[in-house]
Amino acid sequence: MKIAVCVKHVPDAAVTKRIDPGTKRLDRSGEGSLNPVDANAVEEALRIRDATGDGAEGEVVLVSLGPEKAIDSLRKALAMGADRVLLVSDPDAAGSDLVATSSLLAKALEREGADLVLFGQQASDSDGAVLWAAVAERLRLPLISQVAELTLEGGAVTGKRQTEFGYDVIRAPLPAVVAVADSINEPRYPSLKGIMGAKRKQQDVLSLADLEIEAERAGASGSRTEVLALSDPPPRGETRKLEDDGTGAEKIVEFLAEKRLV
Amino acid sequence: MSRTEQAHRYSETEEQQALRGAVADVAAKYGSGYWLEKARANERTIELWAEAGALGYLGANIPEEYGGGGGGIAELAIVCEELAAAGCPLLMIVVSPAIAGTIIARSGTDEQKTAWLPGLAEGTAKLAFAITEPDAGTNSHNLATVARRDNGGWILNGRKTYISGVDESDAVLVVGRTDDEQTGKLRPALFIVPRDTPGFDWKPIEMDVIAPEEQFACFFDDVELPAEALVGGDVAGLDQLFAGLNPERITIAAYANGIARYALEKAVAYANERQVWDVPIGAHQGVSHPLAEAAIQVELARLVTSKAAALHDAGEARAAGEAANMAKLASADAALLTLDRAIQAHGGNGLASEYDLAAYWGVLRVARIAPVSREMILNYVAQHTLGLPRSY
Repeated sequence: MKIAVCVKHVPDAAVTKRIDPGTKRLDRSGEGSLNPVDANAVEEALRIRDATGDGAEGEVVLVSLGPEKAIDSLRKALAMGADRVLLVSDPDAAGSDLVATSSLLAKALEREGADLVLFGQQASDSDGAVLWAAVAERLRLPLISQVAELTLEGGAVTGKRQTEFGYDVIRAPLPAVVAVADSINEPRYPSLKGIMGAKRKQQDVLSLADLEIEAERAGASGSRTEVLALSDPPPRGETRKLEDDGTGAEKIVEFLAEKRLV
Repeated sequence: MSRTEQAHRYSETEEQQALRGAVADVAAKYGSGYWLEKARANERTIELWAEAGALGYLGANIPEEYGGGGGGIAELAIVCEELAAAGCPLLMIVVSPAIAGTIIARSGTDEQKTAWLPGLAEGTAKLAFAITEPDAGTNSHNLATVARRDNGGWILNGRKTYISGVDESDAVLVVGRTDDEQTGKLRPALFIVPRDTPGFDWKPIEMDVIAPEEQFACFFDDVELPAEALVGGDVAGLDQLFAGLNPERITIAAYANGIARYALEKAVAYANERQVWDVPIGAHQGVSHPLAEAAIQVELARLVTSKAAALHDAGEARAAGEAANMAKLASADAALLTLDRAIQAHGGNGLASEYDLAAYWGVLRVARIAPVSREMILNYVAQHTLGLPRSY
């Protein structure tokens, strides 16, 4: 069983995010880390690999598109137990939008030919939550998203996802693409052995040329969207702060009634 | 060495940084609330110990062939510091993997290594360490705990005091003396004494220290031990004992450095948030400068601690000894200064139970006394670093 997990190096949660007004792109110069829900996808892949048990045949490959320093985040996933890394990194790929990114990732995934492709539901920087759909479409593979429970049986994957009205249970034949929600599992902490061994695992960094992708199909020139303008969100209205002197609850009810919300 | 390489001596390897981050993540799940709840209820930190052990953090310095991380005291000190920085200082790291783990890995027989190191590495086994005696506090050359040969084994007699964590340990590594068969003189020797050995009795010492580990008085009354209880067999000597002392000093320094960071972080958060007049109190130099000075002292202490760890791991015993002593003194002093200033920045709240601050004073104050007092370190530096006359 070969499982590819698509992961992203995103600005660390502790870093104040800033958009560069010149390039109209997110400033990625600060501290970065593994996209939080991607850790759930890695965890799920490791569980599947280890449960399948046949050891030698099971493999978890991390696939990513990003700057070279993305390797720092990928090493964290290697420390958790993933087997190797395939990072697509090329200055010409910077600024790729959803369409271009999906095409680059699909190309890298084609090389791997994994039985199962996992994604975290969304990235904490762009919050698009559509990349997996675009990649599945390009690979012509079935897709299950928002998966909170995943089982593999008889060459098929079954995903359970929570909706507003209950659960959808969806089954798809392998190979398939699955986007997982953070409720699917609790990602493990990397062990000391995992941390010490991460650097020695295979880490391939591929350029666009390595993937036989023309530069104009990536980056800004390969993108179909263009950011025209940026503006700050409107300021929040006046805030009122209440000190709770024992009548806090009443005051909140009064306020809601005043606004005709209750 | 290039300038860049020289600068990198002051930063950690990628793996060490990753270890720091991983330990901090695990420790954050527990935090001061967990540690203080255990300490106040006189309970052990079993859950955190087990989780850190299963992840291999507690066995960072144990050789790989025995299931450890194959790292050094530098890695174990990182584990120790990060747990403490989250409000979870674990004293038994200093005792079990740092002292006992180092001694057994260096001097133990193959059987002793196989019996103890895998458990120490995973945290499933714990060894306490007993050196201090009621009548030979600091003078380890004057130990009255003596083992004599008997029937191919040993009979151990003596007393020990202020021994940490006997109740939670599988056995105690006891420093005693034996008669040398050739010279008839007494020479130091270490014995592994299982907790339930007949004749070995241990009683808690009531302490005014809030900690999840207890201190014990140990009594060895004609304790019969097999020949294999002697660490290293007949060949080992004083060296094996000293092998464990630098790791002890380095990890206790890391423990203090971690608590200092914990206190400083709390003080900074409070000073940024607390507002009495029109600005947060941290805007007043009367509040900010004492904290800035504390931050500098803590950073200096951390630097000499990592220097000591690096020297120890490189096998430079003598240089490591000097640095480990300096690190122990500097870290305890810096941490106590920092905690005091963090309390001051909090005003009355600094002493209130809900602020989880003053409760750490006891365990930090211990670091100024144990494993070796501030005064004995000053004696050492005066004599060995400065070349002044010996004072005792």
